[in-house]
Parts: sequence; structure tokens; C-alpha cells
Amino acid sequence: MLAIQLAITGLQTGALYALTAVGFSLIFGSTRIFHFAHGASFVIAAYFFYATFGAGWGVIPAILASAFGAVAFGLLLDRLVYVPIQRHEGSFFTVFVASFGVGIAVQNVIGMIFGRGYVTVNTSLSRSVEMFPDVYVSPLAWIAILCAAIFLGGLQFFLRRTHTGMALRALADNPELVRTFGLNPRAIQAAAFAIGSVIVVPAAIITSATTGLSPAIGHHVMLISLAATIVGGIGSISGTMLAGVLLGLAESLALLIVDSQWTEAVTFAILFAFIIIRPSGLLGRATAH
Amino acid sequence: MLNKLKFAGAVAVLTGLALPAMAKDHVIGALFPLSGPNAVYGDVFMAGSDLAVEHINADGMLSGPMSIAYEDSQGLPQPAVVGMTKLVNVTGVPYTLSAFTGVSKAISTLGQRNHVVAVNGGGVGPDLAALGEYFWNVIPLVNLEVRAVVPYLTGEMGLKRMVLVYIDDPFGQAIQSELGSAFEGTDAELVEVLSVPVTAQQFSGVAAKVRSAKPDVVYIASYGAQQLQIVKQLRDNGVDAQIVSYSGYITPDALALPQSEGIVVTGQAVDYASDDPVTKRFVTDFKAKFDKDPTAYNVNYYNATLLYGLLAHALEQEGKDVTGENLLAKRLEMKTFDLVGGTVSFQDNGTLLSPIEVKQIKDGKTVTLSTVQIGG
Repeated sequence: MLAIQLAITGLQTGALYALTAVGFSLIFGSTRIFHFAHGASFVIAAYFFYATFGAGWGVIPAILASAFGAVAFGLLLDRLVYVPIQRHEGSFFTVFVASFGVGIAVQNVIGMIFGRGYVTVNTSLSRSVEMFPDVYVSPLAWIAILCAAIFLGGLQFFLRRTHTGMALRALADNPELVRTFGLNPRAIQAAAFAIGSVIVVPAAIITSATTGLSPAIGHHVMLISLAATIVGGIGSISGTMLAGVLLGLAESLALLIVDSQWTEAVTFAILFAFIIIRPSGLLGRATAH
Repeated sequence: MLNKLKFAGAVAVLTGLALPAMAKDHVIGALFPLSGPNAVYGDVFMAGSDLAVEHINADGMLSGPMSIAYEDSQGLPQPAVVGMTKLVNVTGVPYTLSAFTGVSKAISTLGQRNHVVAVNGGGVGPDLAALGEYFWNVIPLVNLEVRAVVPYLTGEMGLKRMVLVYIDDPFGQAIQSELGSAFEGTDAELVEVLSVPVTAQQFSGVAAKVRSAKPDVVYIASYGAQQLQIVKQLRDNGVDAQIVSYSGYITPDALALPQSEGIVVTGQAVDYASDDPVTKRFVTDFKAKFDKDPTAYNVNYYNATLLYGLLAHALEQEGKDVTGENLLAKRLEMKTFDLVGGTVSFQDNGTLLSPIEVKQIKDGKTVTLSTVQIGG
């Protein structure tokens, strides 16, 4: 029964990891911007939901406020930080440092506004019920898995069946060719930030009710996003989804074999194994340089 | 040549003006977590230390204004050592406030080597009693808390099967060691021990392991946001056993957490209703300034800061320099101090003794269940 319990728990964690990581993967894969502030998008979405839901806005308005916060942050960051740096031929490292700095600034601003302590959204949905003897599942676990399926399936549809989605994929492959076809790479980049930011919203909201929040949570979000992106294969949305679920499951099921202190190390052991054995990741394409 | 003379003159004037002022200023250091998941502690600690500075300055206790140079330790050893190095070598403080077991152990060698006093009011690892003569504790250490709570749990509450969930760092390891020996000779047992990494945030799997051990009581030994994440996720994942923790759990965000209801915690006993003038002034001014009741951490850092004021005042009265060596010598000479909670004295190892209270969280506040006197 412990194995079943850990598998269900791992699926829930993996669904949240996938939702968290896919946004980063989409932005990094299509724009090559190392968006370290993706963790800050997560934090902003979570705290917007926490504040508005706590103020009695109701679930739907609070979700919309959360989505607004994340998307506005993503777009403003792109417009006011990344685009100016790129315009001056800013290097990959310059963009990374700028993004890192913004992440720290957001952490401190959130701390100043909401306090630096731990907060959580209280809901009975986070309370597990016994489905079978010794197997407990919370309604939020099902919601997390359902959200992951809907959002990630929707994203795949969007990327394959819509013009903007195809343009995003094209931008990842060849920005010059995109320009040749009369498309505006800057506008497509902005779309990547909007979609990459909004897709983190369900994970941020569910995390606010299950794990709880502190302004510093963004660093952990980035670690997971980075690990899932590399394990899944840089540029591969499907690979990142799969890797997110795999990492969540591995972290949970590892408790069957190793002491609890090693569960996080399992994530990075998988990451190192992929870097050494299969650098292109689960579904990434091998490239020659 | 004229420019050189002007420059030399300006330096001479500035030096002449600045030196007497610097000699009178009293700057002490503090290594508190001001960012990261433990930042909430920094706010609590600073509330106490800043109030003490206000009182010391208002009383004109020292020859010049006193201030605290805060460095952000993040509650982690590595940034703390960077901060301590700056405080010792750049700011030149003779006395610094410290917090957290790992941080305190990391900076203690710098203090010992440079003869800078470090005073801990927040870390509770038992090792902190043996960090040398320049490291003092104004907080009873967690071995005393464990010794106070285990008999209460097994005797008064009849809880026999304990699971320990502890953070994998020097503090957590100290609790594990202490609990292991606390159960010897009793009919209670430690049925499962689960350590978690410092950075872990997901504990639903740990909750499944806890549940499968079928405990009567779960001891949580962590700190900051992580300990609240553990408690919430244990409760959310069907762990209904009694939860118990230590003094580090008593923070404003923990008391506000609905899942904290009923948790048993330990902490030093402080008589806030005492009639002594130091305690009365502290309680009155703290409530006026922060509009809430003080906690033991507020008291500890008030006391740690006030202790500097008392020692430095005594040294200045004798015309001696306020250095780490002289502060240590004066503490050993004075022996007793009027601090918040009454007149106190240090043990030979530089640690204050205090009775331990076993409390329970009810409606967002702690209610005392029992007070245990601790022998020296």
C-alpha cells in the first residue's frame, strides 16, 4: 500500500513539476532567454491568488487575478529588460544576470508587501481522504493531475495547430526565417512569455494550498524547471512534461529504497545521469556544433 | 604642491573631527536571517535587539550612541561566515549577535580567533554550549527542552510511539541524538526516524512513511518555512497523531497556521508579569511599539543586546576599552545581570539556565501545560 500511496503522491508532485517546468521550457526553447525569473512569475501568481482569494474575491476572480499578475510580469520583463538587452546585442550571460537580479528583487518586494513568513491558502480541498486502506488522496491531487492534462494537452494543440504556435516553434528553429516570412520575432517572443507565464498559474495556485508559500519559493521552482527542461530535452515541450512527471514520481518512490534525506538528491542524480548518458534529454534532438 | 597641502589639511581636519566621534560610537554586529525561507526569524530577532538599543540610547547608558550593524546570514553557515568576516575585519565590532545552530557553529571560530564575543539567542543545538569562551548563549539549549518534554509526553499524555522528522543539519542531528537517549529506560520508543534535506518542500511522501509507522506522537525538528510545510502536509495527508516541536516553532506564522492547533511545544519560561523594572519596561514598550505580546526570541535578543550595554557601561566607568577580551573579563567578574525575566547568571560554559515550559497551541496562542525546573 505504501508503494501505491507514494505513486499517487508522486503523480501529484510530478503534475505540478510539469506545469511549472513547461513554461520555462517554452520560453527558453523558443527565445533562448534563460528566464531565471520564471520562479518569480510563479511567486507572483501564487501571491496574487493568496491576496485576492484571502480578500474574498472568490475562486474564479482570484484565478484571473493570478493569471493577470503572472502574464503582466512576464510581458513587462520581456519588454523592459530582455528586449533592451537584446537590442544592444546583450550576451546570454547578461540576460541571465538581469533575470537573476529581477528574481531577487521580486522576492524582496513580495517579502515587503506580504511579509517574509510562511503563508498558505486554507481550503478543505487539500485535506486527504482515505480511498483505500492506508491510501490517502486529496481532491487537490486530482485537480493537479487534471490541470496538467488539460493545460499541457492544450499547449500541444496550440503549438501544433495554431499559427502563433507554429510561429513559436519556428522561432526556436530559425528567427531569421521567421522574419523572412513577414512575422515579427519580438511579438512572437512576447507571446512565448505570455503563454509561458500563464501556464505556471495552476501549479502556483495548487502549491499555495498544498505546500504553502514563502517569498523564497521561486528558487526551488527554478531548480525543478531547469532539471525537467534538461532531462526532457531542451526545446522539447513533450519531453519537459514527461520529465516533470518522472522527477515527481522518482522523488516520491525513492522513499521505498533510500532514506528520506536522499529524495531530492534523486532528482539531481537523474539530471546528472542524463547529462552524461543522454545529453539531448528524453525527447530532445541531438545537435551537432 | 598647494593641492597636496590642501589634501593633507583636509585629511587632518576630517581625521581630527572623526576620530573622537568614532571612539564614542558603539557598534555591535548581528548575523540574522534577513532573506530566504528563514527571514521571518530575522524580523522577530530584530524587534528585540532594536528595542534594547533604543532603551540603551535613551538612558545614555554609554558614552556615545549605540547601533547594530546587521548582516544577512540567511540562516546558513556560508553567508554567515562572510558576514562575520566583514563584521570582524571591516566594521571592527567587539560583540555580535548570532542565531541558528549551523550559523553559530560556523562563526564561532572567527569570534574565538579574533576575540570577538558572539551571543546566541536563537540557535538551540546542544553543541553551542561548547564553542569556546567567546561564545555565549542567552537561551536554554534544546537538550533541556527534549529532557523536559519527553517525560510529559510519555507520562502525562501516555504517548509511547514516536516518529521523529528532522532537518538534516547540525541542529536536527542534535535533536535526533538527544531523543535517542531520552527514551532509554522508558517504555516508550522511537519507532521511525526520517531526516529531510534543508531545501526540501514536498513532504507528502514523508507523511505516507510517518502514517505507516502508526505513531502516537510525531516530533518535528526543523525551522523556518519548512517546519510549517511539514506540519501542514502531515495533517493534510492523514497524519492525526499528536505533533510536538521545540521553541523554534513558536513564530507568528506558525501560530497563525490552522494545522498548528493542538501542537505541543517547549520553550524557555519567561515571567512577563514580573515586577522587576527591566521586565516591566520591556513588556510595556514592546506592546506599545509592536502592538502584540513579546515572545521568548524577542526577550533573548533584547537581553543579548542589553547585556552588551551593561558590560560596556561597566568598562567605561572603569576607563577601560570596550574590546572582546574586556567584555569577556567583565562578564566573568560581574556574574549576575538584571535582564528581562529577572536576575540571571551564566553557567561556566557561557550559557544561561532557565526553566522550560511545556505548552500547547490553542486558538493561535500558547497555553502553558507544565513548567519544568532545570538543574545547573
